[in-house]
Amino acid sequence: MNNNAIELAHEVFAKANVCSSWQRPVSIGAIIWQQLLKTPVAMISFWIIFTLVLISLLSFLGLAITPYAFDQTSADILQGPSATHLMGTDELGRDLLSRIIYGSRLSISIGLITALTAFIIGTTYGAIAGFCGGKIDSLLMRGVDIAYSLPDLLVMILIGVLVGRGTQGILIALGLVSWMGTARLVRAELLQLQHEEFIDAAKTAGQNSVWIILKHLLPNAVGPIIVAVTFAVPSAILSESTLSFIGLGLSPPECSWGTLALDGWHSLRTHPHLIFFPSLFIFITVLSFNLFGDALRDAFDPKSRNL
Amino acid sequence: MFWLIIKRIFSALIVLWIVATITFVLVRIVPGGPFDADKNLPPQIIANLKAKYHLDKSVSEQYVLYLARLAKGDLGVSYKYVNRSVNDILKDAFPVSCQLGLLGLVFAIVFGIALGTIAAVNRGSTLDTLAMIKVTLGISLPSFVIGALLIFVFGIQFKILPVGLWESPYHMILPALTLAASPAAYLARLTRSSILEIIQKDWVRTARCKGLSFWQTIIKHVLRNALVPIVTVLGPLTAILITGSFVVEFIYAIPGMGRFFITAVTNRDYDLIIGTTLVFGLILIIANTIVDIVYVMLNPKMQIEG
Amino acid sequence: MGASLVKALVNIFNKFIAFVFCLYLLTACTQIKPSFEKDTLRINIGSEPPSLDWHVAVDSTSFDVVSNLMTGLTQYRPDLSCAPACAKNWEVLDKGKRYIFHLREDIFWSDGKRLTAHDFCYGWLRMLNPNTAAQYAYFLYDIENAFEFNTGKIKDESLVGVKALDDNTLEVKLKKPAAYFINLTAICPSYPMRKDIIEKWQDKWTDVEHMVVNGPFLLSRWEHEYKIELSANPNYFEGKPKLKKIKMFMIPEQATAFALYENNQLDFIDNRSFATPDVYRYKSSPEYLNVPLLRNNYIGFNVLKMPFADARIRQAISMAIDRSIFPLILRRNELPTSSWIPPSLSGYSKNSGFVYDVNKAKSLLAQAGYPSGKNFPKVSLLFPTREDTKLVMEAIQDQLKRNLNINIELVNQEWKVYLATLRRDAPPMFRSSWGADYPDPETFMNLFTSYSGNNDTSWKNTQYDKLIERAEAEQNSKLRAVLYARADRLLCHDQAVIAPTYLSTQNAMVKPWVHGIALNALDLQFFKTVTIDNEFKSGDK
Repeated sequence: MNNNAIELAHEVFAKANVCSSWQRPVSIGAIIWQQLLKTPVAMISFWIIFTLVLISLLSFLGLAITPYAFDQTSADILQGPSATHLMGTDELGRDLLSRIIYGSRLSISIGLITALTAFIIGTTYGAIAGFCGGKIDSLLMRGVDIAYSLPDLLVMILIGVLVGRGTQGILIALGLVSWMGTARLVRAELLQLQHEEFIDAAKTAGQNSVWIILKHLLPNAVGPIIVAVTFAVPSAILSESTLSFIGLGLSPPECSWGTLALDGWHSLRTHPHLIFFPSLFIFITVLSFNLFGDALRDAFDPKSRNL
Repeated sequence: MFWLIIKRIFSALIVLWIVATITFVLVRIVPGGPFDADKNLPPQIIANLKAKYHLDKSVSEQYVLYLARLAKGDLGVSYKYVNRSVNDILKDAFPVSCQLGLLGLVFAIVFGIALGTIAAVNRGSTLDTLAMIKVTLGISLPSFVIGALLIFVFGIQFKILPVGLWESPYHMILPALTLAASPAAYLARLTRSSILEIIQKDWVRTARCKGLSFWQTIIKHVLRNALVPIVTVLGPLTAILITGSFVVEFIYAIPGMGRFFITAVTNRDYDLIIGTTLVFGLILIIANTIVDIVYVMLNPKMQIEG
Repeated sequence: MGASLVKALVNIFNKFIAFVFCLYLLTACTQIKPSFEKDTLRINIGSEPPSLDWHVAVDSTSFDVVSNLMTGLTQYRPDLSCAPACAKNWEVLDKGKRYIFHLREDIFWSDGKRLTAHDFCYGWLRMLNPNTAAQYAYFLYDIENAFEFNTGKIKDESLVGVKALDDNTLEVKLKKPAAYFINLTAICPSYPMRKDIIEKWQDKWTDVEHMVVNGPFLLSRWEHEYKIELSANPNYFEGKPKLKKIKMFMIPEQATAFALYENNQLDFIDNRSFATPDVYRYKSSPEYLNVPLLRNNYIGFNVLKMPFADARIRQAISMAIDRSIFPLILRRNELPTSSWIPPSLSGYSKNSGFVYDVNKAKSLLAQAGYPSGKNFPKVSLLFPTREDTKLVMEAIQDQLKRNLNINIELVNQEWKVYLATLRRDAPPMFRSSWGADYPDPETFMNLFTSYSGNNDTSWKNTQYDKLIERAEAEQNSKLRAVLYARADRLLCHDQAVIAPTYLSTQNAMVKPWVHGIALNALDLQFFKTVTIDNEFKSGDK
């Protein structure tokens, strides 16, 4: 009994602390940024992501940063890595490094945009369900069940037919399937936080619902949100290759990391470079996103700041 | 609780009906029909086929016919696997996928939670970094590559596990590992993140002050409260795993249900598409209902409407 | 409490180690298998046969199983000519319009009943019955009134030109002479069928316990989506096969099937189990086999779409493709070809297609109004996403860009969407292929007649139609070959409606203890003559 009271007191005190910290004149963004600057891992992963984005932007502008054109064929087919072709060549004698760099422009942008879509739609949907609860929650969650159940492939083929090939089609298709997980996570977190004392306090203080969600609820659910969003990146990069397969994605000879991996995996035992290098790039990208996500989560957590 | 379940059964029927209806419409508006083939058939033969499967009737008539059969629990017939009913096909295939999926789920939960807890407890250390690299490998490699690597290492190089096929329990190990790779990674990341969230709460410190050992605190108090996001993910994950994965069943030659999610669509096998979709939907609803019940058990303050 | 917990944990840990150890031992045991199973052939058929009912089946997987269960009026020799089987001989009467088949009297179904001409008659009428909805019913459309019966225009099946004159004599009347007709009596759609069995079991008659056959093997086990087992038929009219059992696995993934072959768990694998890179690794192995198939691949032009209404442009493109690159990128000894009839069939001529000639192609393109590719519209080339097609399309795109300076947009679609697009409104260029149903040029040439349902080019040419009709009715094989060669040149050279690219090949690996595997150009696999060397020792290699 006594213990419980102490616990409760501790908790309320801690929450009050958190709340008061939001009201400081220094903006939350600045605090987080300062926090990130202090963590070397965050900075390394940030710079890797930055470089990758830069490379993909450059190839969007058509600047020649690759040793060869991505579709330039040659007689040197299926060569292993060498001085002339750092990552070897494929079945048509095209330079793999150039193709990977060219492919980054689609893969990186798809990864980022899908993650963003998953974040915005998923968080909004989940927040409404979790905050309102009751009938609305029930209705919205049955909507998620329906969206989960519909056969993805069929939906994607249809989008391909309706929208035609090209980036919009890919984005719509991937956006449509990526938000449900985030929505369910956010909803669960909010249902749990709903009845914590500090929320009741905010409610009785007459604060506006949107304000409560944005300022009090979401920051406390930031951990799972970041995990879900960083996971949307690799799954979008890889799913894009499936889309190419059903004719929704890229028009050959264009390529992405996903299609390179899909085309290369049968050569695992004969020409491993065809699967190794595309996978390596996906791996590095995903690792950077995860590490950066971790650092971001830590920066959001007021108590781990002094660790 | 009782009313929750009653309400859920009722809403499940509505959800399944909506799913069946949308899929019913989707399969019919997607270009390409069940009898389009490499060698084009004369129109008269197509007419015979359509008459046999009642596809010559108007869409609304077909819909009424379909619902009437569905109400009796009859999911229809396959156009591709001639003379086999969808019920028969799913009756053969589902138990296989279910067994494999459950093992995969166990692997995912055990590895995921263990890895996540170790990473969180040893945060910032080499162990944490190693766990992070494993996790990243699990998600950034497509499952067909993971499968091919496992087959190569365990099946061909060391020859300690079967390459594929479905003969004995040992044949389940590699496919279940492949199945578990990505979900385990997801669960590990979630576990790590939510444990870190909870571990700094003041009542955890209080619990330690009460004299509980470190691991007792983690298991008794922290994990229990960190479980909400994990359980949330487990709902859809269970449904996905036990209805089978196309890639895993394809790579390991397993006679499961997962491959129908793709092949039924590519064959435009209408009833089979709706059948697999409904089975998936049903299991998803059951799993999510259990998840909602578990929420209340974990945290009695959570209120969930039916 | 702490101590007991530790004890319990240690206990669990020990048990776990013991379990893992046992598991390891057991897996080690299960893996140490003999390299082969006695008198058993283990193969991979890739996927579930959609149906074993040979009147309903349409795909090669089903036919691979059925053609080892059944025997027709005739059967293929290894060189694909027709040999007598259930029919001991036959007469061709009325200038090729009437066939009389005389049946052997010593052939029995697997349940002991004798095979009669009535079984053939019933089978063919069942195939043509609209209620069966058999997709390959059109194979029998050459028979008098078959088309009318199948489309419901006549209801009386006795009007159809197939009749059992007595138990041992079958009469077939054709509506017009068809020189290729005898080939049809060797393939699955024309196999006999038992009326009593069908009526008794209906849809379930292909179940293991009900199925009745007359071929070298019996269906003994069918685990859907996993495995089919056949066992030797002791009553087979050519004598019980030496092979006691065939295990047909359905392993969809090539790499897995190949790994199983390497681990001695499969004895024979073909294209279905063979990813291109693996072909490359094993090309010099004595276990490797390779034969060209009667499957031709081509780029088709939609002659109604600009700019392909102009034959010169089609010719220029066909001429500017260096076909020698295909075997280099596909690496399965593909046979480059620029004519439509494959070299192994009558009617093939070297002069039917083009030789690679960039300069001539350039001048043709210039004559058509596009000097050095200037102002040539960007045309799309449609292809389905299947196996290696993407690489071939990329190579063609690259060559046309380099040789003629024209840009092709590659458009790939999911298989069924591709089929729907092709049939509704074919794009200017598309990739397609055709596999022979029987070894006769007719199966290829009929495709581009104006009345063919598979002619996606919109090309209609009365001269071509007439050539084909004359060739079909021609009984003199030399004259027939000349007619087909002339039509082929019209199709691939003068009009260049299609640009054939290469002939596919069958690639296979056979373990050294398996004897008697013979591949043929139709990709039909017969296992009745296969034997397993039970004395084989792994050192014998």
